[in-house]
Amino acid sequence: MENTIPAQILFLADLVIYFLIILVHITKRNISIVYVYAAQSLMITFLMVYSASVNHSYALWILAALIFGLKVAAAPIFFLRQIKKQTLQSMTSSYLGLPLTLIGIAVLTMVTHSRFFAALATLSPANENALMISIAAMFISLFIIINRKGALSQMIGILSLENAIVAFAFAAGLEQGLGLELGIIFDICAWIVIATVFVTMIYKKFHTLDVSVMTKLKG
Amino acid sequence: MILALIIIIPLLIAAISAIIQKGTRLLEFLTVFSSGAVFFFSIIIADKVLADQSYSLLPYLKVSSFGAILLLLTSFISLIASLYSIGYLRTEVKKEVIGFSRVKQYFVLLNVFLTSMIFAISFTSPIMTWVAVEATTLSTAFLISFYNKPSSLEAAWKYLIINSVGLLLAFFGTILFMAGPMTHGGNIGLITWNELMTSANTLNPSVIKIAFVFILIGYGTKMGLVPMHTWLPDAHSKAPVPISSLLSGVLLNIALFTILRFKIAADGVVGINFSSNLFIYFGLFSILVSSLLIYLQTNYKRLLAYSTIEHMGIIALGIGFGSIGLFASILHMIYHSLAKPLLFLTSGNIFLKFSSTKIEKIKGVFQAIPLTGALFLIGIFAITGVPPFGIFMTEFSILAAGIQSHPIVAGFTLLGLVLIFIGFLKHASSMIFGEKPKDIAAGESNSWTTVPLILLATVLIFLSLYLPGPLKLLIERATLIF
Repeated sequence: MENTIPAQILFLADLVIYFLIILVHITKRNISIVYVYAAQSLMITFLMVYSASVNHSYALWILAALIFGLKVAAAPIFFLRQIKKQTLQSMTSSYLGLPLTLIGIAVLTMVTHSRFFAALATLSPANENALMISIAAMFISLFIIINRKGALSQMIGILSLENAIVAFAFAAGLEQGLGLELGIIFDICAWIVIATVFVTMIYKKFHTLDVSVMTKLKG
Repeated sequence: MILALIIIIPLLIAAISAIIQKGTRLLEFLTVFSSGAVFFFSIIIADKVLADQSYSLLPYLKVSSFGAILLLLTSFISLIASLYSIGYLRTEVKKEVIGFSRVKQYFVLLNVFLTSMIFAISFTSPIMTWVAVEATTLSTAFLISFYNKPSSLEAAWKYLIINSVGLLLAFFGTILFMAGPMTHGGNIGLITWNELMTSANTLNPSVIKIAFVFILIGYGTKMGLVPMHTWLPDAHSKAPVPISSLLSGVLLNIALFTILRFKIAADGVVGINFSSNLFIYFGLFSILVSSLLIYLQTNYKRLLAYSTIEHMGIIALGIGFGSIGLFASILHMIYHSLAKPLLFLTSGNIFLKFSSTKIEKIKGVFQAIPLTGALFLIGIFAITGVPPFGIFMTEFSILAAGIQSHPIVAGFTLLGLVLIFIGFLKHASSMIFGEKPKDIAAGESNSWTTVPLILLATVLIFLSLYLPGPLKLLIERATLIF
């Protein structure tokens, strides 16, 4: 499928998503993390809207509306309510300090520019930079899940990973059809609800969302 | 139409079960009816696949020879697990460990789980298969945290996070594979497995290599291959045993099936060696790591979980070795799918009797629950590959396939298998023999927890001694595809 979004716009949008994912690493407050996720999702919505307007596709407009509704509005509101309900406004911590975290991010970004991933540029040579920055965003999202101690941060890490993959799909010109996107959106919707229920259960059982205190399985 | 029935029935039963306000017996009946009907229709579908190579419903659902094997295994183990669940949950209710709402939640989720597995087997679209596999994760997460204890909640969270990450990586691999049909065929609709396989060769081989690595890591996480296995021992040991038997006996096979379908596409572009070597590395690593952990294990449910990792490793190794190894791997998968649920369910009886999962606290199983003890021993012999059980023959065939091309790998595998055999024998003998504690009364909990196990053991022994022609034909056809 031919890419309909200009390379510069794609790169810029993917770069913003990349920096917003780095911001999740730096941000310590639960509420701020949710807002950063909403901003990431807004960029994805922007890409979808752009694609819809260029292609004059009703299906893409519907998708854009759905993504906005779920990822920019419903999910963040859902998370913010949970934070308020569970009084989780407190800070969340990570295993590595900020300097080491930033070094880790730099290393991961460099890895994506290695020869191993260079072949992915063949998917859309005009969008090579956007593709590489999206892969870097994917790895940095994975790093959030590993590095952060908060269950909510881990959830945001997974959702950021999903955003990074979607950004990559845009850069590679691999947006899907409406039916499939609906399936994926439904899946993400179910995931968010279930993971949030688990976060609530964890808080009730452990009185914290710090997963490093969950040590009942050891020994 | 039959394919629609086996999807609709468990889904409908899940919905009906969700609105039932009282009556545990009704919930039990509905689930047994659901899994029984699915098993019955699976036999009919397998028969149709034997006659016509495949069975389809619209362009969206299709069962191949491998799919028919998985459908039979899934429905049969689900039926056994459903029957066993009756006795298991009744005992837990009697002990006041759980109440009606938990029982209802259990049966609703069990049916949703069954539906999502059937979808994952039969979807013709790789993306929809991914959605279905993700649905299995979501439906089982609450079953793993069923007891609502801190440890089970921790296991469920670990399961949810690790598998979600794995499946997102698999999703990334999937969209890379789909770049072929999308960029060259202009198809933006439901890309099917066939389209993916035929158009993958339009892609850069290096892209396919990257895509397959992500697929193997992603679905390999679900399959429990080392080093992505860390969720598995916790989830299997904390879930109620009928769920552990389904996770181990059937769910992991579905992840394997999905990887194999991508393998066909990858092999066509980059040659068979790339994927085969990856299967061999992951397989050997899984066997070696699990063998050490099995030997040192102190918890019998975790022992069985690590054994699952070992057997997934053996299956991966057989696929990597190819030729006769591939046939043996599929057969091994069948035997494992029968033997492991037998072990998990007998371990459930041991838990109900002794109220502990620590190996050191279990003594005299033969004295306390003789029938369970005998079935547990049959399961141990079967899973460790003692003749005449089928696993002996499949492990032998896999090693024979690898001894010429990869003698060092075969040597290390043999070493791992010996260590596992010694470990299992050591743990099992300390549990089964000796004097039972005086405060433990002799006698099985109820017939619901023994009769299904006798049936399962009978099928395992029968298939070990005699492989029916139709099943052999299905395996041969599945082998030819891969």
